[in-house]
Amino acid sequence: MMEAPSAYQDVMCSRVAIRKDDPAKTNPRFWDELFLMKVNLEYLEAKLTSLDGDEVVMIKENINSLFHHCVQALEEEHQIKVVNALQTLCALFRGVHQKNKSATGFDIINMLVGFDKADLRMKDLMESLDGLLCGDGSESLKSLCLKLLLCLVTVTDNISQNTILEYVMINSIFEAILQILSDVSSRGQHGYDAVVLLALLVNYRKYESVNPYIVKLSIVDDESTLDGMGMVVHQALTEYNRQYKDKEEEDHGGFFSTLTNMVGSMFIADAEEKLSVQTNEAILLALYEAVHLNRNFITVLAQSHPEIDMAATPVSTLPATPTTPLGTTPPSLDMLNNPELPLDPNLQTSNLLITFLKYSSIVMQDTKDEHRLNSARLCLIILTCIAEDQYADAFLHDDNMNFRVNLHRMPMRHRKKAAAKNIPSRPLVCAVLDLMVEFIVTHMMKEFPMDLYMRCVQIIHKLICYQKKCRVRLHYTWRELWSALINLLKFLLSNETTLLAKHNIFHLALQVVNLFNMFITYGDTFLPTPSSYDELYYEIVRMHQVFDNLYCMVLRVSTNVGQWKEPASKVTHALVNVRAIINHFNPKIESYAAVNHISQLSEDQVLEVVRSNYDTLTLKLQDGLDQFERYSEQPKETAFFKELVRSISLNVRKNVSLNTLSQDVLLKEFSSIS
Amino acid sequence: MGDTELELSPSQLEELQKSPSASSTSTTSSLSLPSSPSSGPRAFTSSSPSASESLPASSPPLDVISEGVNELSLVIDTEVAKKACQEVLQKVKLLKGDGEMTPAAVEPTLVNGTAHTDPSERDSGGVGQPSKTNEDEPPPGTVKSARRRQKNNSSKQSWLLRLFESKLFDISMAISYLYNSKEPGVQAYIGNRLFSFRNEDVDFYLPQLLNMYIHMDEDVGDAIKPYVVHRCRQSINFSLQCAWLLGAYSSDMHISTQRHSRGTKLRKLILSDELKPASQRIRREVLQPPPPCPPPLHHGQGLSEHSLSPSKRTHQRSKSDATVSISLSSNLKRTASNPKVESSQDEDMSSSSDSLELEAGTPVRLTPQREFIKSLMGIGKRLATLPTKEQKTQRLISELSLLNHKLPARVWLPTAAFDHHVVRVPHTQAVVLNSKDKAPYLIYVEVLECENFETSSVPVRIPETRIRSTRSVENLPDCGITPDQRASSFSTVPNYDNDDEAWSVDDIGELQVELPEIHTNSCDNISQFSVDSITSQESKEPIFIAAGDIRRRLSEQLAHTPTTFKKDPEDPSAVALKEPWQEKVRRIREASPYGHLPNWRLLSVIVKCGDDLRQELLAFQVLKQLQAIWEQERVPLWIKPYKILVISSDSGMIEPVVNAVSIHQVKKQSQLSLLDYFLQEHGNYTTEAFLTAQRNFVQSCAGYCLICYLLQVKDRHNGNILLDSEGHIIHIDFGFILSSSPRNLGFETSAFKLTNEFVDVMGGQDGDMFNYYKMLMLQGLIAARKHMEKVIQIVEIMQQGSQLPCFHGSSTIRNLKERFHMSLTEEQLQVLVEQMVDGSMRSITTKLYDGFQYLTNGIM
Repeated sequence: MMEAPSAYQDVMCSRVAIRKDDPAKTNPRFWDELFLMKVNLEYLEAKLTSLDGDEVVMIKENINSLFHHCVQALEEEHQIKVVNALQTLCALFRGVHQKNKSATGFDIINMLVGFDKADLRMKDLMESLDGLLCGDGSESLKSLCLKLLLCLVTVTDNISQNTILEYVMINSIFEAILQILSDVSSRGQHGYDAVVLLALLVNYRKYESVNPYIVKLSIVDDESTLDGMGMVVHQALTEYNRQYKDKEEEDHGGFFSTLTNMVGSMFIADAEEKLSVQTNEAILLALYEAVHLNRNFITVLAQSHPEIDMAATPVSTLPATPTTPLGTTPPSLDMLNNPELPLDPNLQTSNLLITFLKYSSIVMQDTKDEHRLNSARLCLIILTCIAEDQYADAFLHDDNMNFRVNLHRMPMRHRKKAAAKNIPSRPLVCAVLDLMVEFIVTHMMKEFPMDLYMRCVQIIHKLICYQKKCRVRLHYTWRELWSALINLLKFLLSNETTLLAKHNIFHLALQVVNLFNMFITYGDTFLPTPSSYDELYYEIVRMHQVFDNLYCMVLRVSTNVGQWKEPASKVTHALVNVRAIINHFNPKIESYAAVNHISQLSEDQVLEVVRSNYDTLTLKLQDGLDQFERYSEQPKETAFFKELVRSISLNVRKNVSLNTLSQDVLLKEFSSIS
Repeated sequence: MGDTELELSPSQLEELQKSPSASSTSTTSSLSLPSSPSSGPRAFTSSSPSASESLPASSPPLDVISEGVNELSLVIDTEVAKKACQEVLQKVKLLKGDGEMTPAAVEPTLVNGTAHTDPSERDSGGVGQPSKTNEDEPPPGTVKSARRRQKNNSSKQSWLLRLFESKLFDISMAISYLYNSKEPGVQAYIGNRLFSFRNEDVDFYLPQLLNMYIHMDEDVGDAIKPYVVHRCRQSINFSLQCAWLLGAYSSDMHISTQRHSRGTKLRKLILSDELKPASQRIRREVLQPPPPCPPPLHHGQGLSEHSLSPSKRTHQRSKSDATVSISLSSNLKRTASNPKVESSQDEDMSSSSDSLELEAGTPVRLTPQREFIKSLMGIGKRLATLPTKEQKTQRLISELSLLNHKLPARVWLPTAAFDHHVVRVPHTQAVVLNSKDKAPYLIYVEVLECENFETSSVPVRIPETRIRSTRSVENLPDCGITPDQRASSFSTVPNYDNDDEAWSVDDIGELQVELPEIHTNSCDNISQFSVDSITSQESKEPIFIAAGDIRRRLSEQLAHTPTTFKKDPEDPSAVALKEPWQEKVRRIREASPYGHLPNWRLLSVIVKCGDDLRQELLAFQVLKQLQAIWEQERVPLWIKPYKILVISSDSGMIEPVVNAVSIHQVKKQSQLSLLDYFLQEHGNYTTEAFLTAQRNFVQSCAGYCLICYLLQVKDRHNGNILLDSEGHIIHIDFGFILSSSPRNLGFETSAFKLTNEFVDVMGGQDGDMFNYYKMLMLQGLIAARKHMEKVIQIVEIMQQGSQLPCFHGSSTIRNLKERFHMSLTEEQLQVLVEQMVDGSMRSITTKLYDGFQYLTNGIM
């Protein structure tokens, strides 16, 4: 049968597609034979697309019939029929949609399935797919099912306009997805597709109606499933980090680059583009939905993965490159897939959170292009969710869980690249703070990413609130944070006019000043040592000019009439304690210098002055310093996520190429089975 | 049965007590003690209430050895046993005319039938078992022939009999006679008599019993086996302990003989899990609490408690899941997100759980615990491959977090003193201990105390995130899903409606930290330490605070925290061990999802992989024995025997000494002399706290000096001596005792380790405390000497068939006996103590050895 010329099959398909009569009338075994033949997907899809509106309407009955028989064929024992039916369905979905871009969803359902039978047919289809995914059948078949689903989910640019998904909502395949994720071997092979599919399904009409996938995802509490999901995300992000590192090393030339060239040449899709590996928003979206929706997933973040586990899990989960997330495994990765991978003592134990932080540090380096900006934004949103979570905070601050996290730092002229080896093993929150500080100091540019800065400062604020509340005294070099924040204020001041044209800089300034107020008023509850409190004062006094200028600026704006009057005056009020400190200590320091005839006081001398003059300083207690607005996706982030899902849909659709579906390899497998 | 009736003079008793070997050899030919070990198990497994009532009696009536016909009677000729028993009973009646005997002797006949009547009630394992036992047993000919010799009764024999029946006949004497007697009749009698001792008492001598079983002749083995088998049927814990010890003590045999040895066979029998309780019915009987039992705890209570507890607001696992989780190894397929199962769970949980457990539990009786221990050992093995402490620690934490997924389960820590189920391992608290090439590690284990770990139901799993909530499930409450969904899928949302609060609670506001403002709903916008300075937050008046106050509070807060050790990646255990135990318990309890349960407990255990703990176990037994002796003789010496669990000849677990750090760690971290450290920790010379600590130090020092002398404990560097928070020292690591010393370099020739630093803490050589120290040593030695046999016995039995280095050479026991100096007068003993103390203080070798340790291992 397999030798049948594909031309013959084309003809058959055309007959179905174009002729008005029922082909089965002339040949009773027509359908049986049809699905035994290799599908020419391009042809079918092109044919459907080439028809004009009227023609399509004319062959509606035939398409319905083809659809119907495809669904029926899924129940067949003959695997080739199932494969062909799946592929035909895929082509049908695509072809009909492409033809009817402007048509409403209902028309498309009518065209494909027929209104009267849609409920039943779609139910049968979903049940068959569910059965195939959960059954003990061939893995390639499962893979095809997932691809068909991905195909179905991404046929429209805007997922919420894809009315057919209503049937996927009613006939849930959620449990099938979970089953794939909970099983180690199936997770290895299909985990990536399953996670992406889930992330997309969750976003179907997210804000308009009740999406059962959201509900179900939010209550999953089975650890192995959640772990499986975490593992898939972890591996995808790890792979990205690795590619980036390879590329970085390659760029820096040397012996290593030749090596990676040989091994990893398939990763370098566009060698010209400097150090940019395409980001993978789909997987990040999945991570976001899991963290945001499922309270139990937070534990997975901290779930360490010893190397043995990584070795036990087939590495083939990893998409070859993020650009072809649904492609097959490149052969070279199979080397890593050796289950007897020896324990590498140099491999650090890692967990999803560490990998995510590393990933974020890479993504945040360059926010110029749209994808990366979106990725960075999503990273910060995920971090916001994490920082708000009590359990996550608990393990972030756990003194017994110390890790070395090598964050990527942008090479900058005025600083040396920190030696990776010197990073001490610290609680994870230090890495989060480092990442925030890193972002703050590296993004003071013309195209000022205001919303990212806001998120960044808010994350710091949330972490400090937790520390204050729980009296966690973190041994962190707060000084770096203080000076980064002061520099940020300085930047805002010097670019006041350009920035004000686009952003409300007073909101950000207020947040920053309030961070200082947290330290000033509540430092006793979370600072590690008394001397760190002294250092805070030292830093403020040392940089008093920035605060003075800020005060002048906000005072000026608040006295004028205008849209910034209100926000600026808030900043003036917030500055009261900082100004009190400056006004209190500056004269003291000057007189100390005068008395001791020193022109330039050393740090120790200033600290001495600070220490001996606390008692005469009175501060004002400000309200609501440790209050924060909790993250909420609606309504603020709605637009962002809609746009993000759209771009992910496009990307996924592009990559579920029909070529991957019609691989000869796949058919060969089944021809040998049959 | 009072000892007044026995008319034994103390001196006579003493003679019998002290030299069982002598007396037994002299009476070998004339003993006519009956043997019928078969009747013992009957008394326990029978359903007769009268029989079981008599169990706990400390000196049981002789019915225990009277005729009994049950499954084990296949082994020993019942007729002979019966006859012999009657003989004894006759004699006893003649001797004492004790009326008690008559009813007791009649009773068992009523019982005999019941054990056999209903074979259908037994599970297949129970039926198959007797025949199996039969194969293992030697033909009873030896017992018979031995008994034929027991015709004439001498007066000595009746003395012995009376001793055996007296209240004074304790387990220690029983073990001694069992070991020393060459007379099968005596051995069989004692084997039988074991049933009458309290389980805990016999458990102490379990290593001795099993070592005798493995390495001594058949008669002894035959005498011991029924008891062991019986106890194995009763208890999973006992079964595993036996199996582990049998394995460990068989390991010194030649590989070819080992395979066929009786020890290996018994071990296989136990591990095959055929030694189940004879039937379910009987098992329940055993579980039935005796009448004067404290509050009758229903088995289901633990569970129903959980379901009632207010914190149960997350999605609990269904009952069926809990049952499945019995087996650690079985792939846990949880359907947790299926609310259908959950909704029904609460109603029928208590009713169905018991039967479910019993049926589901039996096939995998031993498996969960074995798997649990196996995974702990596996972790140790993998840690050993990692080069640095930091990597080891990280790996340990991650491995344990995976282990957590399989908990709670029907597993427990054998070192604990109470029944419990392990529910969680707070993985981040675990630490790797200091060791050069092995990777011993210490874990803390959260357990829930229960009535009986075999029968109480396994606690329901509570997710880590119990106290958490999600942020935005805006759509959740009102979501409606079309009802026509397949059955297995999520179908009814309303189940979660009562969960509402869980979705909306503010995370941070719900923190379990005791904050003054936690109960007020007002926003806490003031520092928690300045709460009292604020009266009204609503007032518009600005509130002022002094910067100096903030700074002051900061320094005060830091000053009030107890002294802690600095984190050192090379010595991760120092910080963990320094933290006061109560503090640690409180901290872990707060963070645990199980912490709110009233029966929550925290345990800790050191897992040793690659180390032979048999010597440690021996040392533990000797220490325990000496501790009991000193207590009995009212000598205020302080020692701390810590529990040892031997799992194989190269792995095991140790119960950690809490609130103690090694002197090495103390010195390294504090950079102070020991005395200065005492002053820092406890206060000035004259303070009550210091004096108490000093007294504790002296009492423990004297105790351990004697231990070190008697057992010849070597390798006494400061890493092996702990100092607890009350000032006691505790010696650990008994790897070199008796005839072995490290590398045989000939260091440490002094009697024990007594450095100048130690003497300084005691207040110097001329102080009262130093005299007290010497006095304590003398008293301790005198007391120990009085009960020497009890100590020697422990060591001597374990020498049988052992290749342990501590038994190297032929004179181990003789030398040990000599160190008790039986021949010296008390005055001479006093001189001896003085000499030893002087010698140890002047000993250059002690100092040399410390220097040697510093050079080679970096131990201060």
